[in-house]
Amino acid sequence: MQTDVQPASAPSTPWQSLSLDHVRKVFRDSRGGDYAAVRDISISIRRGDFYCLLGPSGCGKSTLLNLIAGFEPVTEGGIAFAGETGGQPWRKPIGGAGVDRSMIFQDAGEALFPWLNVEENVVFGPRLHGASGQPLLANLDRYLRMVGLKEHAHKFPFELSGGMKQRVQIARALIMEPDILLMDEPFAALDAITKRLLQQELARIWQETGKTIVYVTHDIIEALLLGTRVAVMTAGPAATIKQEIEVRLAQPRSSTSTDFVELTKLLEATLHEEVHKARAAQAQAA
Amino acid sequence: MSKEASIKRAAGVGATQADAPGAGSTKLKRAIRQTLMALISLGSVLLLWHLSVGTLFNSALVPTPAATFSKAWGMMMTGELFMHIGVSLRRVLVGYVAGCVGGIMLGAVIGRFWLARELADPVLEVIRPISPVAIVPLAMLWFGIGEVSKYFIIIYATLIIVLLNTAAGVSRTPVTRVRAARCLGANEYDVFLKVVLPSAVPYVLTGMRVALGFSFMGIVAAELIGAREGLGFLIMNSQLLLQTEQLFVGLLSLGVVGAIIDRVFRIVLDRYTRSYIQFQREV
Repeated sequence: MQTDVQPASAPSTPWQSLSLDHVRKVFRDSRGGDYAAVRDISISIRRGDFYCLLGPSGCGKSTLLNLIAGFEPVTEGGIAFAGETGGQPWRKPIGGAGVDRSMIFQDAGEALFPWLNVEENVVFGPRLHGASGQPLLANLDRYLRMVGLKEHAHKFPFELSGGMKQRVQIARALIMEPDILLMDEPFAALDAITKRLLQQELARIWQETGKTIVYVTHDIIEALLLGTRVAVMTAGPAATIKQEIEVRLAQPRSSTSTDFVELTKLLEATLHEEVHKARAAQAQAA
Repeated sequence: MSKEASIKRAAGVGATQADAPGAGSTKLKRAIRQTLMALISLGSVLLLWHLSVGTLFNSALVPTPAATFSKAWGMMMTGELFMHIGVSLRRVLVGYVAGCVGGIMLGAVIGRFWLARELADPVLEVIRPISPVAIVPLAMLWFGIGEVSKYFIIIYATLIIVLLNTAAGVSRTPVTRVRAARCLGANEYDVFLKVVLPSAVPYVLTGMRVALGFSFMGIVAAELIGAREGLGFLIMNSQLLLQTEQLFVGLLSLGVVGAIIDRVFRIVLDRYTRSYIQFQREV
């Protein structure tokens, strides 16, 4: 069971990794049956990683991200920040949802506050914590510029395109200066050109801010364009991590370079195997 | 950026749109066309009305438009008509405001807590079909023919609708939006006040507009049965005295006042809740 217990003394040095140990999540369906979404997930996300969770649809990627965000408790196992102070390793379990882990959702129309304009959406979090005046304005200005929304600060969400809405979400999350940015297929609903543009900008923002990002996607190319590490999940139910690869390619990346193509083939083979397995399982069940 | 600057910016954007070539004249053309259409439609009805009196209808039962308007003019001059309209409007206003406040508060609680919702639902299911008109005799029995019974009827008409809509809006706040707020450090209290309630506003406004119509129905019904002033009383009393001109004046006043109130309601909404309204169209 995941506990909300904090260590007696807060660690004084920053965390080194976010570690998931034998994480299992079981949902109870409406007929009272148990449904395991993910099982035995043990990964370690290093500080500064751009960690991509790649898998076929319905494999529990989003569930895993929701567990990390603290929206739902794990059924078994634990999720904790881990580090070392003076040679002493420590672990600090994540609690419920908090400002240290900020989520960017696929459906920006639901995630944004439609009654607030871009600027007001972005300062929503800092204002809750009493920020105001010049420091807040300077911060607002910085993040609006970072996502390229300076000129649209006074527009309302309904006046923005899908890509611009995602930019607002990114600025709104970044201004909280979270330890980890969690992104749940943020660009999946966008057209190809906007998607590519935002991927490039996200890669730049990641380099600029040095944030740790956990990014859920079903798109191999996207995972390889962005990720420093890519974890491939098995087909659900009861999905787990099948393979984890390091992507040692410098940014900006080109999807046509030899190394990139090699990695794409590798991941395609792995992913296709999983999709096949899922189909076979479905056929058997039917 | 200061609030003032942002308002100026907003005003600036508005001005550019209005200044766009053709925008102004199209708007004017549309206004002219709509006015013309309104004149034609109302004019032809008046003409038909005029022609039908004495031919199709007995002139003792249907007064001519001219007779009706001259009666209305006379009642305006003496102030009698405005007195009746004013009394009815005051009753609606007091009851409506009270009903909206109560409905929003109760609806917020019912929408927020599943226990309150599940307990309240069966009761509301039964109460909802009981129209404000059906409540009139009960209100008279409880509160007599004074003002209190009128307020009670209007509050009843308004409260139920606003409550149901508020509860629906509150319980339908997208989970994603609440989670987003949590990531921004919102506690339970923040989530409810700054995310859930604003998310319910389009539903609340829809309820308020419907409730306004219900209030007018309720007040007329109440005044028909037990009142010494107000539009409903005017209509009923005219029937008893066989004053058909005055009866028509009462009915027309009701129509005109209702239409104006609804229009004002829409203008106020458009002006002060622009972003909500747009968001309502998306919902």
